[in-house]
Amino acid sequence: MIESVLEALSYPPIGRAFAACFLCGASCALLSVFVVLMRMPLIGVSMSHAAFAGAVLGMLMDINPFLSGFILCLLAAAVLGPLSDRAEMAPENILGIMFSFLMGVAFLGMGILTRSKAQALSLMWGSLLTLSSADLVILAVVTMLLAVFIVLFFKEIRAVLFNRRLAASSGVPERAIYYALLFFTGAVISSNLATVGGLLIFALLVQPGAVAMQLTYNLKSFFWISAAAGVTACLTGLAASYIFDIPSGAAVVLAATLLFTLAFVFSPKRRRTRSGANKSIL
Amino acid sequence: MTDQALFLKHVSVCKNKNILLADIDLLIGTNEFVGIIGPNGAGKTTLLNVIAGFEKFRGELYLFGKPQTWRRSRAERLSIGYVPQLTQIDPGFPILAGQAVMTGAVGRCGLFHKAGKDVELEAMRLMEMMRVSHLARRPLGHLSGGERQKVMLARAILQHPDVLLLDEPTANLDIAVQKEVLNLIDEIFERRSLTILFVTHDFNMLPTRLNRALLLKEGRKYFDGTVMEALSGSMLNRLFEYRLETFERGGRRFVSYD
Repeated sequence: MIESVLEALSYPPIGRAFAACFLCGASCALLSVFVVLMRMPLIGVSMSHAAFAGAVLGMLMDINPFLSGFILCLLAAAVLGPLSDRAEMAPENILGIMFSFLMGVAFLGMGILTRSKAQALSLMWGSLLTLSSADLVILAVVTMLLAVFIVLFFKEIRAVLFNRRLAASSGVPERAIYYALLFFTGAVISSNLATVGGLLIFALLVQPGAVAMQLTYNLKSFFWISAAAGVTACLTGLAASYIFDIPSGAAVVLAATLLFTLAFVFSPKRRRTRSGANKSIL
Repeated sequence: MTDQALFLKHVSVCKNKNILLADIDLLIGTNEFVGIIGPNGAGKTTLLNVIAGFEKFRGELYLFGKPQTWRRSRAERLSIGYVPQLTQIDPGFPILAGQAVMTGAVGRCGLFHKAGKDVELEAMRLMEMMRVSHLARRPLGHLSGGERQKVMLARAILQHPDVLLLDEPTANLDIAVQKEVLNLIDEIFERRSLTILFVTHDFNMLPTRLNRALLLKEGRKYFDGTVMEALSGSMLNRLFEYRLETFERGGRRFVSYD
């Protein structure tokens, strides 16, 4: 079985799919740390639908779907960011309106699309085997930029994740960090439209972070565990899809759910906390 | 640095046609310890938010003689420490108590500069001062409310502020823990040259070192003077529109009600 998987990897489309799965798992999982800790899964849903709607509109207007998806994601972020900062408006309601509006736009676009709808549908479910080298490069660049952002601004990110208001009060540029996160959310989601699609990506924006939440109290470990869970879910899903001839997107999501279940069942956090588990308070 | 820490001139805050603060004039000198007292909805937290730079306002606000808007530079934000009311935190949230204290130093370290061992040692010393150094490696979400508030105090002081804003820091704590936190706040005032603004609606739970009281009612300044004068029965009856009686013990005034 391993030999047949290795043989399959030697074919360029499968090799690209493997690399894309790795990058998709890593980028979505890093982002899921923010989605889970800042409790903003609805922002992830809305942004993924913005990317999907933008990509469909791009197909209608003969624009690169990644670009149009990214632009609509940024527009959604530009609306969501300030609105979610305003205490007098319930963010759930705003996100609910945004989510349904964007779905409406996407389905309207699909309805008036004169050519084959298969390409549009692939944006919903992803299409790993038809990825181009350009798709892969964009995904690699976005993943790398996100990783660099996390490494460079780790202490600011920790302060913002802990408490945005306290971070602002102690001179941390929390708005810049928050808006950078929204920007990366848009970039990660739109660059992954071709891999897992605009609907299934939501699972990868929540589950890896939720796995890490079961396993550690250390933010650095949290990022590593989340990334490992995302990559494992994606690669396991892809391998299962190849071996058992099942849809890859569904296999990835199910693998992620299985990982979360295992983490939940065997979570050390559910046992008594041992003091002194971490040596440095930094 | 001038002797004038804060100066507010005709400061007002209006939201959705509701007046939260109306025409507040206030001068607070350096090293003053001011209690901001009033019933719910009096504008206490709004006033603190204006001073902290969290709230847009009309009027003029000066911090150590420099005019301020709600947008602040890093240096201006660093000069004001802030301790909120006890907030809930997910018990599984990945932050240890010591790391939470260290977030107070993030702004002053600046971008691309890691907090060094000296900052970590200072954080530990502050945690010792707040009697929570033994909890440094415990997840913050596992601490009791009182322990978390002490961590928040240490965090705010690690920022090296000139002004410390305390927004009902003893709310939702039991009486013994409230007293313990108040004693620590008194200790901070004694040991650090800070200007402290302490918001509360509980006039029986005031820090003993408080040297001035500002009473607010319906967004307006109702009284500004000594704590003893502020806690007179007639003043409080009018402020709360409820019959309150005061009595003195150990040179301090306490309030009781039917």
